[in-house]
Amino acid sequence: MKITVERSGGIAALTRTWTVQATTSSDKSHWQPIVEACPWDAVPDSRQVSDGQPDRFMYSIRAGQRRATLPERAVTGPWRVLVETTRAAAEQTPRNGTATGIRS
Amino acid sequence: MICSIIPPYMLKRLAAQDAPRFSAVRRAAKEALLHVKTVQAARTAPAPVTPPGLRQVQPAPPDRSVYDAKSAESLPGVLVRKEGEAPVGDPAADEAYDGLGHTHSLYADVFGRNSIDGQGMPLNATVHFGKLYDNAFWDGQQMVFGDGDGEIFERFTRSLSVIGHELAHGVTQFSAGLAYRNQAGAINESISDVFGALVEQYFRKQSTADASWLIGEDLFTSQVEGTALRSMKAPGTAYDDDVLGKDPQPDSMDAYVRTSADNGGVHINSGIPNRAFCLVAQAIGGNAWEAPGQIWYETLTGGSLPPTATFSVFAKATAASARELFGDGSAEHDAVREAWETVKVKH
Repeated sequence: MKITVERSGGIAALTRTWTVQATTSSDKSHWQPIVEACPWDAVPDSRQVSDGQPDRFMYSIRAGQRRATLPERAVTGPWRVLVETTRAAAEQTPRNGTATGIRS
Repeated sequence: MICSIIPPYMLKRLAAQDAPRFSAVRRAAKEALLHVKTVQAARTAPAPVTPPGLRQVQPAPPDRSVYDAKSAESLPGVLVRKEGEAPVGDPAADEAYDGLGHTHSLYADVFGRNSIDGQGMPLNATVHFGKLYDNAFWDGQQMVFGDGDGEIFERFTRSLSVIGHELAHGVTQFSAGLAYRNQAGAINESISDVFGALVEQYFRKQSTADASWLIGEDLFTSQVEGTALRSMKAPGTAYDDDVLGKDPQPDSMDAYVRTSADNGGVHINSGIPNRAFCLVAQAIGGNAWEAPGQIWYETLTGGSLPPTATFSVFAKATAASARELFGDGSAEHDAVREAWETVKVKH
């Protein structure tokens, strides 16, 4: 399972992407509960998502076939755990953690 | 209520005087014209966004408070410095305090605006928000600054244009109320860059020719190949770094970026109206907070800009403001129309 967290926006408008690959059964048993704890079905249409606060970050999260776009203030609880765990894991493995300019 | 005994046509002539010895007259005439426009708008507009009479309020001195979030994410945090108190020795807190004051000065001195909401709103800021937080934002009521991660970003209070940028979001919120998505969002962002740049230029007393036209200078650490977050003069050239990539801002509609990220690219496509403003300032010359700033400020606060304005609607509105303030076919009016032509926005 591939997990990707893309953070866009912010006053600097630098899109940063953190990716991890859960390939072994041990990896999958670690990531599965973190991913499944998130309320994927309760996320509004990404075109309707707006934080209402200028210059806050926007998060686009993908885990396998599941996708969610969330404003920064909605990244709480299990979403925050998923984002921070993904970021920490990606940053431990530099090739998986990338920081890029905006990508359309 | 302020009444003007000088008729509008004469005010327009005075406002158009470009000789240095007429600078005081020119500014007074422009301010009087803004008041005239306000009264005219109040007579004709069915529901002005800005309550009538705000511009008649004498701007009050700033009322600043700076808080310390102590690396947490709850606001406002612990109060560390109030209005009139001496510096506390924390660079972030003292830079925020000074930046709020410089921003207040631009709006009060140049545009006669009584704080962010036009009604003397206290200016509050929180510093040290979050852990290694790479951002600064306006939350609808106050400023919030992160410390940066130390690898890409320094603390966000280092840049006066960033402080001015964030507070301009407040001015937009209390005036045109522009949406924060797609082209309206990019205009919202551009207006914040424009007034952020003007705050910095007015504080430094820099003319258009002397100014850097950079937003967020001094924010990058020395490890980054870049000078700032954005360049208003040359969008797309602010940085080119192995890690960050290249500055993605377009400088005309030919390179407009369609993206779902960043609320539809609000920080990306803002490069187009940013360049338009810079071109207007370069064509007019002198200080950008004078005629160019007056035109943009009038467009923002005049009550006719819809919240979902496109670039084209905004361009037409700025041309209308220039015509209203300086006359049809004036140098200012021509400068605005030519700028939008250069960036290929229909107007």
